[in-house]
Amino acid sequence: MEGEREYRRIAVFGGVYSNYLALEATLEDARRRDVEAIFCLGDMGAFGPHPDRVFPPLRQAGVLAIQGNYDDSLGAGKEDCGCGYTDPRDNFFARISYEYTFKNTSAENKAWLRTLPKHQRIRLGEHRVLMCHGSPRMLNEFLWESTTPNGLLEKFMRDYQAEVILCTHTGIKWHRALAGGRHLVNVGAIGRPENDGMTNVWCAILTADAGLQVEFVPVHYDHEALAREMEREGLPSEFVETVRTGWWTTCLEVLPAKERARGKY
Amino acid sequence: MSVPVAPFSHLSTLWVQVTGTWCNLQCVHCINSSGPTDPWLKSLDTETVKRHVMEAEALGVKEIYFTGGEPFLHQDILELLACSLRVAPSTVLTNGTRITEKTADALAALAGESLYSLEIRVSVDDIDPEANDRIRGKGAFDKAIRAIRLLHARGLLPILTATEILQGDGPEGNGMYQRFRDLLASVGVTKPRVKIIPVFPAGRLAQEGGARLTREMLQGFDFSLLQCTETRAVADGGVYSCPILAGLKEARLSEGSLEESFTPCRLYHPACVTCYQTGMTCRNF
Ligand SMILES: [Fe+2]
Repeated sequence: MEGEREYRRIAVFGGVYSNYLALEATLEDARRRDVEAIFCLGDMGAFGPHPDRVFPPLRQAGVLAIQGNYDDSLGAGKEDCGCGYTDPRDNFFARISYEYTFKNTSAENKAWLRTLPKHQRIRLGEHRVLMCHGSPRMLNEFLWESTTPNGLLEKFMRDYQAEVILCTHTGIKWHRALAGGRHLVNVGAIGRPENDGMTNVWCAILTADAGLQVEFVPVHYDHEALAREMEREGLPSEFVETVRTGWWTTCLEVLPAKERARGKY
Repeated sequence: MSVPVAPFSHLSTLWVQVTGTWCNLQCVHCINSSGPTDPWLKSLDTETVKRHVMEAEALGVKEIYFTGGEPFLHQDILELLACSLRVAPSTVLTNGTRITEKTADALAALAGESLYSLEIRVSVDDIDPEANDRIRGKGAFDKAIRAIRLLHARGLLPILTATEILQGDGPEGNGMYQRFRDLLASVGVTKPRVKIIPVFPAGRLAQEGGARLTREMLQGFDFSLLQCTETRAVADGGVYSCPILAGLKEARLSEGSLEESFTPCRLYHPACVTCYQTGMTCRNF
């Protein structure tokens, strides 16, 4: 593991979902927090309006990004988003979102998405950190808090030789510390609120000092402006409602019982 | 001609055929011919199940499912679920007939104490009680709906599981799916969850000389679409390739050790054609 960049303090986010207003707010917030680098765990497009608008801020801020399933699909010209849903209602909305995003993402940005790696390894102080989108073994595996056993995390950390694993893909943040100073952090998403009735989104700040400090930072942005743009773009009213209320209305069936119980629908 | 095989990737889901083929119902489409008398596959004893759960934990299992037969006929089912929930998210597939207020209370307590999700899948095959009961047995509909209500009232969010035996509309249609969501809404379920599975040419619907997979059909096929690349089922007699074929000698991969079953499995059964054609998974979602 020679040659991995070492950092002391970083910002990490995932799931931009074309929410360029939340992205701009997140980058501004991260700059104020004295971080040495900003990482994005993938899924630049989906859900929101004008997918091309997220790329300039990502590049200008020098965000170190990896591919999510959406980026893989858009880059490779695949027929669907590869989100990993099995339910018909989830798939119905996933298709609308993918078709809109595919049509409105430029060839140049698709080509850029193709250049992104699927994993990123760094050091945070002593910790070997592995970043992935879904899970270390699968781009679109869902790691929800209530369906990710400690035994599986132990296996991932053994198999992939990391003390810290960072992921996204589910859209809801969580953090679990395991024995021996090891951590799983699902950084959540900045593109969509996390089904708790709040309109803000979330980013993670990781700091290596005595151990590893994991801080989730709420990011507020002009969600009303985003909602109006989504309406103008003819995106489903269900998506717009989520932006305005903070409650998920679609892609709900993939939620496990505990996470589903916390939402409104 | 030689039988094609599916490679093994990793253990994602462990199925526990906890009551074998012992069931208080005798559905006409049962994939393993379960019923109340002379089950051909025996129940697992409590210690055996616990041993498999512990072994699965060490191997990094992601989810554990309990099926049968009817799991709630097992005398220690609640103890086994408690054990399983300490290790991984756990699901029970049930006909719902044995879920009383007391059982529902116990399940809610287990779910509340656990870090991991507990999922209860209740089987119903038609929105019309009479049509359902012709398939599943007299009174089955009312008892299943009662179970769904009891679970819902305790915040457990049961998943109605239906087969396409009576009203399948194929992979593209979702009329059936919507009808079941409406049924759930009509009995007061505010977060309706529906899982639909195809009918398998196995158990009571097995036919002589059914179609089999060939090596030619699997040329260039993405094997990760087959659940047997990441699942194993424990049942009396050992470890088997998947929950549908659990208990069948030809599907047995090991006599006891889970890790020894991590080998390619033979796609020898007509049910393998159904998985190949539909890409279905027995998992919740
Ligand atoms: Fe994703």
